[in-house]
Amino acid sequence: MDSEHSWSSPQAGHAGTLSPSAGTGPTGQRPVYLPEGAHRRVKILVAGHLGVGKTTAIRTLSEIPTLHTEEVMTDAAAATDDLSLVGLRNKTTTTVAIDFGRLTLPGDKIVLYLYGTPGQRRFLPLWKGIALGALGALVLVDTRRLDASFEVMDLIEERGLPYAVAVNVFPDSPDYSLEILRAKLDLAPDTPLVQCDARQTNSSLNALIELTAHSIARAGEKTS
Amino acid sequence: MSRGQEQRRLLPAYLATGTGGAPIGSTIDTLTALRATGIPLAPYHTSVHQRVVELLEGGSLTVMEIAGYLGLPVSVGIVVAEQLVTDGQLKGSAPVADAAEVAANANRPSKEVMEEVLSGLRALLV
Ligand SMILES: Nc1nc2c(ncn2[C@@H]2O[C@H](COP(=O)(O)OP(=O)(O)O)[C@@H](O)[C@H]2O)c(=O)[nH]1
Ligand SMILES: [Mg+2]
Repeated sequence: MDSEHSWSSPQAGHAGTLSPSAGTGPTGQRPVYLPEGAHRRVKILVAGHLGVGKTTAIRTLSEIPTLHTEEVMTDAAAATDDLSLVGLRNKTTTTVAIDFGRLTLPGDKIVLYLYGTPGQRRFLPLWKGIALGALGALVLVDTRRLDASFEVMDLIEERGLPYAVAVNVFPDSPDYSLEILRAKLDLAPDTPLVQCDARQTNSSLNALIELTAHSIARAGEKTS
Repeated sequence: MSRGQEQRRLLPAYLATGTGGAPIGSTIDTLTALRATGIPLAPYHTSVHQRVVELLEGGSLTVMEIAGYLGLPVSVGIVVAEQLVTDGQLKGSAPVADAAEVAANANRPSKEVMEEVLSGLRALLV
């Protein structure tokens, strides 16, 4: 098993209860069960290109060790960027990996699920299902590769999903002001744009706070 | 519909549609929570059914988490959960209890729920 998804003890202070039984998964992971009382489960997407910090942000925020699923996608659209396969097979299968984490809010009435969502258009069939019902998307951006974020921002805008942009700063990132970044990313005036260190809890929480406030402001608008 | 003694099969992974959500007409969503009821498995259930039920004997988890713990594609987790709810070994609960409330904000959480999310997140700041 990839060490990125290895298990450590869950963060203290959250509602999850550790199973007393031995591990049940292929890697011997102990399940952290949901709160017993009535609660709502709310989905938030953490989107962006490979290496932008999705898994890091989810791990920082999650009360459970980050989980990982793989979805097999069988779809013609998935094959359009892989011409080598055309004619060899009628259908192409693509495996899409999703990391996710869980965050129970104080009071145990709401449990947030953070879905790390890959940003490529070829995963569109997956996006349709995954975006449905989400509170919104936090788009992570790396200023060294701004153009790599356009595809995911387009996908989210097409779905009508409210989103906020969090700029992860890496040691060799160019030092753009937020105004310049807003122009370069061509953001709507009301789209939140924040700087974020995905390794820091408060910084990552603050990005979710900006997203949630924006989703509230947009409540009632239609999405597709 | 009668199943008789027929062996039940899981949906092979290569047939999964990978829409990231439930099959059309399904009541199970990736965030549906499930818990074992204590009703024993039937002879036609497979070892995958058994692992899912065992995982859910100690508490509730969502389909997404079940898939993550057991190393199953999410679409297979949905199919297995659906079978076990139909057969009685699992009980499911929807992510948000009130369907009318969901419909009111284009499938997104209601404004009231999002306000609760906002204050909850603020309370977590240290
Ligand atoms: N400096 C800095 N490094 C980060 C930040 N977020 C992620 N990283 C690093 O960037 C690398 C890729 O992050 P990862 O979360 O795996 O990206 P993913 O592919 O989007 O899931 C890792 O080595 C992280 O430690 C950040 O906000 N600041
Ligand atoms: Mg990752």
